[in-house]
Amino acid sequence: MSGAPAPLLEVEGLEVRYGRVPAVRGLSLAAERGEVVALVGPNGAGKSTTLHAIMGLVPPSGGDVRLHGRSTVGLAPEAVARSGIALVPEGRHVFPHFTVEENLRLGLVARRAKDGAHEDLRRVYELFPVVEEFRGRPAGLLSGGQQQQLAIARGLVAHPDVLLLDEPSLGLAPSLVDTVFDTLAEVRSQGVAVVLVEQRAQLAIGFADRAHVIANGELRLTLGPEQADDTALLTQAYFG
Amino acid sequence: MSTLQTLVDAVALGSLYALVAMGIALIFGVMRLVNFAHGELLTAGAYALFLTNDLPLAVSIVVLFATVAAFALAMETAVRPLRTASPAAMLVTTFAISFLLQSVFLLVWGSQGDNAGILPELNRAVDVGGLRIRWVTIASIGVGALLLAGTALLLNRTTIGLQMRAAAHDFQTARLLGVRANNVIRFAFLLAAVLAATATLMLVVQRPLVTPTFGFAVVIPALVGVVVGGLDRLTSATLGGFAIGFGTSVLGDVLPADGRVFLPSVVFALVILVLLLRPSGLFTRARAAAERV
Amino acid sequence: MRRLAGLSELAGPVLLLVLVAVLGSLASRSIQVEFRSALVSATIVIALYVFIGNSGVVSFGHVSFVAVGAFAAGLVTVPEALKLSASPELYPFIASAEVGNAASLAIAAAVGGVYAFLVGVPLMRLSGLAAGIATFAVLEITHNVLRNWPKIGPGAKTLPLVPETSSFLQVTLGAVAVAAIAFAYQRSRPGRLLRAAREDPAAAQGSGVNIHRQRLLAFTLSGALAGFGGGLLVHLLGSITTEQVYIDLAFITLAMLIVGGMSSLWGAVVGALLVSGLNSFLAEAERGLGSVDLPTGTRLVTLGFLMAATLLFRPAGLTGGRELQLRKALARFPEKWGKERPA
Repeated sequence: MSGAPAPLLEVEGLEVRYGRVPAVRGLSLAAERGEVVALVGPNGAGKSTTLHAIMGLVPPSGGDVRLHGRSTVGLAPEAVARSGIALVPEGRHVFPHFTVEENLRLGLVARRAKDGAHEDLRRVYELFPVVEEFRGRPAGLLSGGQQQQLAIARGLVAHPDVLLLDEPSLGLAPSLVDTVFDTLAEVRSQGVAVVLVEQRAQLAIGFADRAHVIANGELRLTLGPEQADDTALLTQAYFG
Repeated sequence: MSTLQTLVDAVALGSLYALVAMGIALIFGVMRLVNFAHGELLTAGAYALFLTNDLPLAVSIVVLFATVAAFALAMETAVRPLRTASPAAMLVTTFAISFLLQSVFLLVWGSQGDNAGILPELNRAVDVGGLRIRWVTIASIGVGALLLAGTALLLNRTTIGLQMRAAAHDFQTARLLGVRANNVIRFAFLLAAVLAATATLMLVVQRPLVTPTFGFAVVIPALVGVVVGGLDRLTSATLGGFAIGFGTSVLGDVLPADGRVFLPSVVFALVILVLLLRPSGLFTRARAAAERV
Repeated sequence: MRRLAGLSELAGPVLLLVLVAVLGSLASRSIQVEFRSALVSATIVIALYVFIGNSGVVSFGHVSFVAVGAFAAGLVTVPEALKLSASPELYPFIASAEVGNAASLAIAAAVGGVYAFLVGVPLMRLSGLAAGIATFAVLEITHNVLRNWPKIGPGAKTLPLVPETSSFLQVTLGAVAVAAIAFAYQRSRPGRLLRAAREDPAAAQGSGVNIHRQRLLAFTLSGALAGFGGGLLVHLLGSITTEQVYIDLAFITLAMLIVGGMSSLWGAVVGALLVSGLNSFLAEAERGLGSVDLPTGTRLVTLGFLMAATLLFRPAGLTGGRELQLRKALARFPEKWGKERPA
């Protein structure tokens, strides 16, 4: 094993419990630069919990999370954010009373390099023209889909090495979902590692480099994009 | 006493209470903590002024701000275990801390009170368009307005202000974006300390006798004003503090002499009324109260 | 059988109260009053618990009911001539009222209960922070009115020469009676409905529980018991002033309940007796007790620190808010003598 460089993001044997109830049991995954790793599975399977554990929002009761080979377990969420992992949370959580621009400025807080902010801002305005259009308006005026774009933009301006997304397609019209995934493709091509939790399994499996099916807190199956249409296999993994 | 005179005095008292209320609201905003012990910041500052009475004014003022800041940071450390407690538990605990501190002040300095006479010249009155207004009244309004505006500017135009507002609105998401929780909270306490120290200075000029309950007597109406105004937003809370100060002053002048002793009852009865009719606050836009039960 | 088993939860508090009474009656005359004071405190704290423990709503204003109970019981047991010479403006019906000891306690409870009911009708709709502030407002109003309205009482002056009928028998019977009532309430249907609403208000409302009504019931009962405690208090002290039933008492009784454990009768009793004992000890030490001589003010600092520390580090109080299961507690004793613990 020595000599091989550590993966950008590595989760090893992750265990998370809420009280006495185990939510994640012995989950392992890895993501490299420019890779998209999808987590799919039934509701309550522990997918979101995994992302929360990576961000330090819930403490793991076992296992490890490593960024650039160094463990991040025990770090406060803000410290994890500042070391280069950005989470786009489920439900977007934009600040409705702040302007779109202020929301983006908040995203800059976690940046490691203080210069280059202008570049990144310009780039997200290019990626998301609607965000630029609404720059000076309160974020609460945007539609759900537009807020989702804002939330992703906010994550990106921090120039993270890893981008975590929790259910980005939730509540979005199909055309908007396409836009979001097109953007994610762009993000992938820029070398960011993406870990994506998605309800829309087939879409996610077809898009990702690797998809892990998680049910009942455990890893059941790992699929490649060519297996996106294998519904029998998927059903087995979900409910077997 | 002419109406204009009454109004000017009321605005002055309102400004001071607004400073205290804003401090309370700032801390509530980032921590969801209602700090009953906020008044003890004022008392500590007042005793600091008493102790440095013989020293030059500038030194006195520096010691005042340093003392209040130190107390504020100590308080911040002490209440960390409360971050996840219910609002009522917080109220009771900070009430206990307040009582504890008052007892300590009582133990050290006794109940008689000490004279922290500072800037007595400010108590002299000046003739303004037919009214006799004390310098300290003008100073209170001026300094109060300046600080309130300055704080608003800080919150709305700076990065740290943005972080504080974000933390106040959605603490967890703010942390996800890299906002350092501890720093933001400490900053809120320090800012509240600056506001409290200023209010203390103006108050001590007018009421030079410092007793262990100096701050408690001020914070009760201020806290009430904050809740009545609307705890959730800074502007409504500050307005509430101003309203209580203003209202108390006006009622004090307007009530007939023998009715004046019942001023506290009138004020508190109004408070209960407001809490019943608009539980989320007088100055907030009527929103669905989360606690309907 | 279940009712008898449940009764063991009442046995703990009652036995402790009686124990304190017995110990007190055997103590030297000079400190007997401290024991009786502890029992009166216990009565007030139990009254406080009936509302706070069952509803989960913190009330800062209960001392208002102690206050009106104390003044009521005091005023109706002081001879008319004395009352009028101290407070010439008293309403005639108050001035002429003269009843016996037991009647005065009943009147104290009634006045406390009625006042609590009137206050509770509007206030019980509030929760959390708003309730805390509103009940504190009630305390302030009560204090302000009692202190400044010479027609209903001595105002800022002391009401003197109240018959000191709070003997050991009286305070013990009173405390035990109040404990029994509190226990009966918490086991009754309204009591259990209120506790359910405390745990999960939405679910309770969904099941048809009228939370406002249940809270009002608890508040009124608690007010009556607090008024009764006020009656015991005034007959213990032999006099009363408005300052004795104001913020200091509000703080101390709340501290007693919290340190003991807010959610159980056992907690209320333990907290009251323990903190009372500490309070008395420190008061004596401040006056100079053998080798211990503390500066004045240490007592309040210690109590304040104790309450703050409990709230910060063990918010459930000493008892953890649990009732004492006397049978289980007794069953553990064999362990200490090396026998096997029952399965």
